[in-house]
Amino acid sequence: MNNFWLALLGMTCITFFCRFLFFSKTVSFELGPKVKRVLSYTAPSVMTAMWVPIVFLGHQDSSGDFITSPFLIAGMATVAFSLLMKNTLAVVVFGMGVFGLLKIFYNSIQSVLS
Amino acid sequence: MPSRTVVVTESVSSDVKIMNRGIVDIFPLALATVPWGILCGSLAITVGLTPLQAQLMSLLIFAGAAQLAALTIMGSVGSLSAMFSSTFVISSRHLLYSAVFREHVRKSPLGLRCTIAFFLTDEMFAVTCAYMEKHKSFSAVYALSSGITFYLIWNISTFAGIVAGQYIPNLEHLGLEFAIAATFIAIVIPSIKNRSTLVSVVSSGLSAIILSIFLEEYALIVATFIGMFCGYLTNDNQQNKEKSNE
Repeated sequence: MNNFWLALLGMTCITFFCRFLFFSKTVSFELGPKVKRVLSYTAPSVMTAMWVPIVFLGHQDSSGDFITSPFLIAGMATVAFSLLMKNTLAVVVFGMGVFGLLKIFYNSIQSVLS
Repeated sequence: MPSRTVVVTESVSSDVKIMNRGIVDIFPLALATVPWGILCGSLAITVGLTPLQAQLMSLLIFAGAAQLAALTIMGSVGSLSAMFSSTFVISSRHLLYSAVFREHVRKSPLGLRCTIAFFLTDEMFAVTCAYMEKHKSFSAVYALSSGITFYLIWNISTFAGIVAGQYIPNLEHLGLEFAIAATFIAIVIPSIKNRSTLVSVVSSGLSAIILSIFLEEYALIVATFIGMFCGYLTNDNQQNKEKSNE
């Protein structure tokens, strides 16, 4: 990665700019209610655009089947658990636990069959 | 003189209390991002960064989703324009947080404003807003103590990922990748409280799957935009009622 330092500098500036912009005394304009409404959907949209491909396309990397993919099963289990529990940490630990158990289960089946 | 000392000690001890509150409140949220930090560290090693470069990303950029997206791009094509544009789109939600805190920090000196801005994250914003709602006032001590706690845990977990990434090859295949999915599911699903958020989540998820087939580099940005605008265009029931009342 030849351009790493340039990438690091640019990304540092961009993230700081977004966090600092309205703290600046020289910026006098306000965000309109429409812009605020559009921005309020950024966090859920970004995060979903990142987790959905992992859960639904994760089986492609491990050359497994879609329906038995640990990514899909553990992902659906995490979604179900997040509807029942509001504790973020508990949901993450539960999801990782289901995923880990499925991986161990599939690995042991594979070693028994071979 | 004695009374003045009493006042000073009192305000110091109340600051310490607020500081402890901030640390305790953000702690569970910070722990939930530990697997994610480990992933950022190990993935950086996998795509060929040195340990120092990997750590500097967390020390300076300090934005999990943006770092992860950038690492994925570095691992595939690695164009700066794709990296910068995805960083901007992912970070644009901080513009909103910055606008919300604006009236509370505007009169503070530049150094304090820069520091609060640097430590402004989703998690710090969430706990500070909850604190503001409860106490009816903004506290820079609270914002900074929760923000710095989060920063430390984020960087320690990145470091752990860097160390692990050097000794355990293909660490990300052990399922750390799933940690991102689990973290985001745990944050996003409970935040769906109205129809427009649901529409924005479903449309960005569907387009992310379809777009990742033929738009590798820009799939994340385009899917995010689609999600934002579909959410924006959806009227929530409450607003419909207001409109029909007019």
